[in-house]
Amino acid sequence: MNPFTYKRATDEADAVREVANGKNAKFLGGGTNLVDLMKMGVETPDELVDINRLALKRIEQTPQGLRIGALASNSEVANHRLVREQFPVLSEAILAGASPQLRNMATVGGNLLQRTRCYYFMDTSFPCNKRVPGSGCSAIPGFNRIHAILGASDKCIAVHPSDMCVALAALDAIVRVAGPAGARQIPLVDFHRLPGDTPQIETNLRPDELIVAVDLPNSPFARRSRYLKIRDRAQYAFALVSVAAALDVQQGRINAARLALGGVAHKPWRALDAEKVLTGARADAQTFRAAAEAALKGAQPQQHNAFKVELARRAIVRLLTEVAHETKGGAA
Amino acid sequence: MKRKKDRGAKGNAPDAAERESSAAEHESCADELIQLLSEDGAARRRFLKQTLLAGGGLAAANLLFSYHARASAHTSAAADAAAAPSNKLSTIPVTLRVNGRDYPLQLEPQVMLLDALRERIGLTGSKKGCDRGQCGACTVLADGHRINSCLALAASYDGAEITTIEGLARGDELHPLQAAFIKHDGFQCGYCTPGQIMSAAGLLREGCPTGMTVRECMSGNICRCGAYNGILAAIEEVRGSKA
Amino acid sequence: MSNQTDTQTKIVGKPVPRKEGRAKVTGAARYIDDLRMDGMLYGATVRSAVPRGRIREIKFGAGLPWDEFVVVTAADIPGENCVALILLDQPYLVAKFINHAEEPILLLAHADKHLLEKARRAVTFDVEPLSPIFTLEESLAKKEIIWGEDNIFKSYQVNKGNVDEVWAQADFIIEGEYRTGAQEQLYIEPNGVIAVANADAGVTVWGSMQCPYYVHKALLKLFALPEEKIRVIQTETGGGFGGKEEYPSMIAGHAALLSWKAGGRPVKIIYDRAEDMVATTKRHPSRTRHRTAVNKDGKLLGMEIEFVIDGGAYATLSSVVLSRGTIHAAGPYNCPNVRINAHAVATNVPPHGAFRGFGAPQSIFALERHLDKVAQVVGLSPAEFRRRNFIHEGETTATGQVIREPVDMEGLLARAFELTDYQAKRERFARANEGRSLKRGIGFASFMHGAGFTGSGEVYLQSIVGAEAGADGRVRLLAASTEIGQGTNTIFAQIAADALQIDFDLIEVAQPDTSNVPNSGPTVASRTTMIVGKLVESAALGLKQTLQNSGLLKANYTTDDWRAACRRHVEQFGLLKSFSQYKPPPGINWDEGKYQGDAYGAYAWAVYVAEVTVDMLTYEARVEDFVALQEVGKVVHPVLAAGQIEGGVAQAIGFTLYENVVWSEGRMLNNQMTNYIIPTSADIPPIRVYFEEQPYAYGPAGAKGIGELPMDGGAPAILNAIEHATGVAFNHVPLLPEALMQALNQTA
Repeated sequence: MNPFTYKRATDEADAVREVANGKNAKFLGGGTNLVDLMKMGVETPDELVDINRLALKRIEQTPQGLRIGALASNSEVANHRLVREQFPVLSEAILAGASPQLRNMATVGGNLLQRTRCYYFMDTSFPCNKRVPGSGCSAIPGFNRIHAILGASDKCIAVHPSDMCVALAALDAIVRVAGPAGARQIPLVDFHRLPGDTPQIETNLRPDELIVAVDLPNSPFARRSRYLKIRDRAQYAFALVSVAAALDVQQGRINAARLALGGVAHKPWRALDAEKVLTGARADAQTFRAAAEAALKGAQPQQHNAFKVELARRAIVRLLTEVAHETKGGAA
Repeated sequence: MKRKKDRGAKGNAPDAAERESSAAEHESCADELIQLLSEDGAARRRFLKQTLLAGGGLAAANLLFSYHARASAHTSAAADAAAAPSNKLSTIPVTLRVNGRDYPLQLEPQVMLLDALRERIGLTGSKKGCDRGQCGACTVLADGHRINSCLALAASYDGAEITTIEGLARGDELHPLQAAFIKHDGFQCGYCTPGQIMSAAGLLREGCPTGMTVRECMSGNICRCGAYNGILAAIEEVRGSKA
Repeated sequence: MSNQTDTQTKIVGKPVPRKEGRAKVTGAARYIDDLRMDGMLYGATVRSAVPRGRIREIKFGAGLPWDEFVVVTAADIPGENCVALILLDQPYLVAKFINHAEEPILLLAHADKHLLEKARRAVTFDVEPLSPIFTLEESLAKKEIIWGEDNIFKSYQVNKGNVDEVWAQADFIIEGEYRTGAQEQLYIEPNGVIAVANADAGVTVWGSMQCPYYVHKALLKLFALPEEKIRVIQTETGGGFGGKEEYPSMIAGHAALLSWKAGGRPVKIIYDRAEDMVATTKRHPSRTRHRTAVNKDGKLLGMEIEFVIDGGAYATLSSVVLSRGTIHAAGPYNCPNVRINAHAVATNVPPHGAFRGFGAPQSIFALERHLDKVAQVVGLSPAEFRRRNFIHEGETTATGQVIREPVDMEGLLARAFELTDYQAKRERFARANEGRSLKRGIGFASFMHGAGFTGSGEVYLQSIVGAEAGADGRVRLLAASTEIGQGTNTIFAQIAADALQIDFDLIEVAQPDTSNVPNSGPTVASRTTMIVGKLVESAALGLKQTLQNSGLLKANYTTDDWRAACRRHVEQFGLLKSFSQYKPPPGINWDEGKYQGDAYGAYAWAVYVAEVTVDMLTYEARVEDFVALQEVGKVVHPVLAAGQIEGGVAQAIGFTLYENVVWSEGRMLNNQMTNYIIPTSADIPPIRVYFEEQPYAYGPAGAKGIGELPMDGGAPAILNAIEHATGVAFNHVPLLPEALMQALNQTA
């Protein structure tokens, strides 16, 4: 690991100032991803600003919804009564990821900034446009089983690995950030970027901005939201594909729908086209299949991941069917 | 004692062999038992020679054992020197509170909690299996929560209450989980075991999230020996007795 | 404490606590990375980035204090630059020609781990590339000749009867091809050693290993020193599974070379997990082709089998892995005409090596999948076809070995079916699966596994075990057999306690140290209990007999009498010692040239049944229930034995459904535990283990070997169950969801 200096931030302003003024400085939250990447030589900050003592851990009810502090651990969020009641998809998504130990360490803010598990990105002996812009993509001609089928570019086909973010994308979450120029809010769906020509820029967060909270707007039908993850073993594995879904069904007809996919793109993939198909349609198998088709329309698989297209379609149909079934049960 | 005396007597093996032969004269008592005491027992003589003349390793062996003593005495200057970086990076003061005792340390920022425990404090029970948060062998409790100490910067845990496998038993009395792991043979090679037990201790405290099984709640600790069923039986027994 | 009742109670067969259990649950057990010495340096290995080439120049990057580093290249080797094992083809360090990615070229040592890692990355090589080959097909086709004259490390031919004559008489001829992938052992403790070496003192190595005398032999050649100058000590070992059979010779040599160059300063090398995964051995990938002749009554007439394994870049253990795979290729069946052609071939990947089962899981997978196919063609159930062909006492195996023990495969099959409700489920699932997206299936495999070294191996080894008794009556067992979690120490103590009729707690097992223990052979091949355990029993009996012959001990005695006798013996004569050396059981004959005869002293016999679900929507396959029934002779320790079976089955489940080594230019690409997937607690079903006990006359208390057996049957049983669930025959492992999807979509 490259040597670095360590600074413990005393408050938000101090943290932001330190990173803004520091040379090649990064915030340190749970460290589960950043420290791992530092050990591999992928991340090489000269300074870490430890924000773990900041008062950003609270999970609280607001008139508009739920506000989750950026330093709340993944475990705290997943097990929080209000989250489980109002936004079960978020709890399920978090519990579907990583291990209990990692969930105890990892923070909400850190999870938003999680970096890809692309083999070639993590191994510094390979060219990688994300790690070394302009060096080339090793995954496109290489082994790309776990790579993107939607929204990729000829510069990068990596996928975002987070489960939590898929749920947040479906829930219309808002990311609250603080920076030298003041506070601002970024909708989760606009927080992450597609790779385009600049895969090294993964989010619209500026380097000196600090994530302080995530807001979940009230949504009555989010109470019956669900997460489905398909992976290579039962636990402690990244998604091949995953789906977060919420449906508002009245008398067999879908009033509103939220659908997001994980493991398929450079960002958590909100399936707006599929939501259009669902909205106003009957909650039946035909509709769900049509939604799945819409969600995967334009999918461009690589040599080793064509199966993910079909897998994603099937996962969508299965989860929508289950949510619709439960919604009916809940309404009855 | 005996070896020490023989060490100087290079090439004097027959002498020692003779002494043993008088002591161990017996007849073959099973088909497979071959008397190796005759002069043509080539394999035996080769082995004896080795036993008697292996002076080379002895000094090193003593060194090895002297380390054991120091490891339990905690951070000696020599131990620090061996692992200290020469990067000339400034160190920072970090006080780790481990198993109820404070350890004031001067650490480089990049020292992991796992390495601080193992190499600076001398508590080697927590294991390094992958160093990437992928196997769970390094699991310790921090303020009661199980974490992967290999991904935890020590500096970040300044003042936190750390519990390692060494802090679980009360004197000679094993923690119920430790006793249950022995009873149910919840391990084979033992390398993942401290992490398994600490993870189980965290699980008992945290509880398993609704809708998840103990099997799922222990999936952060990989056991390649495949002792999972013994591990789960041990945990269930202790969970049961607590309930 | 002790009394008459105690001493008459048999310990063999009882679940006594593990000898090292307390140390392991308290964190007190010391593994190699838990040890440190004064003045110790850390060592690192600089490896090749390319799979094949010629080194033109070694470059040291700027900005590092290179004069502070100990640097070792092939030119620094005092003896011979080869890892002595079977052949002498593998160098410790590349001098000129690189033959696989990650091959060691240069060694570095420094007191600062962080600086060392920086330096490791700063050494680069100017290499003239040569064309590599990566698959066994390319090797067989001689696309490039990369080893010897024909890329072939070893070939065997087994002939029984005359298979050429059966094809004309056959009612059915069934062919099939089966493949298995590489599998990483993934012991949780990475490879590691500490070495102290200089010309005066010689070489001493402590480390994580299965076979101290293998390391001893290799260091002997590397340093060209007399054998008493080499000392190898096993420290607590965090799993091996074969992965620490031959590889520790390499890392031990490297650390010792660094220490030697550093004038005797201790050097520690511990592999990083990724390094351990990319650079060390894995299970041999295999391809097996079957051509089988059967008559209309469902009797096997002839089997022609071609078995090929990919050995990687150097010979290492490939010839013996091939041997075990070959001998097990025709299984526990009575077939009059058999021909097996087997080859181990070279490719430019890191050498493949020992992994539990040692070739047998590969060839048994092929056979047990193939026989389900044969049964289908013949029109019999998989069970009925096997029943008509099982081997019995007095019949011969493929190598012509006459089975002299009672074998009851039909009985095992019947009991396994009873335990799993196999017949009813077979029918019920088939009916219920219709139209369901979650399909269930049940399948089985029947197989055997030979214990001990193949053929004349044990005779060549001439293993020795010692026992010594002190004045306090404590008995120390001296053997090079290592405790690696499988229970060596506990089992040896049980065997000795019963042989001597004294308290179990009076027996201790010496730390394997080549200066203190005789060579009881390597800890491999399911030989520790059966072969070495028998020597333990004999050596222990030797102690008793000495005391009784000298009149110090009566025929009937208590533990207290034993103590008193030992005290008097030590007072009068000194330390009481006894040694025992292997002698083959009577009537064992093996013809290495013809590859015929008694391949193993004894076999364990087994039937494993797997129940699976296959999710037809997500293509996830899961093992829901697993019954492992085996006849292994007398079970010395029921809990440890069950643990061995559970562990082997867990690894077999991984081998079958999860563990996929992804190769990129001859290098393992998925070298992390997040992308090389092995089972967690959530993936393993309750594994139900049952034993039949048919005491083996030449095993200690009647025991046979069991360590490798459970690796053999899982893969075919699971794939047979998946075929039952889905109607699709899969003939390769690992079977990942995408392969399921492809096949199911094609048949849909």
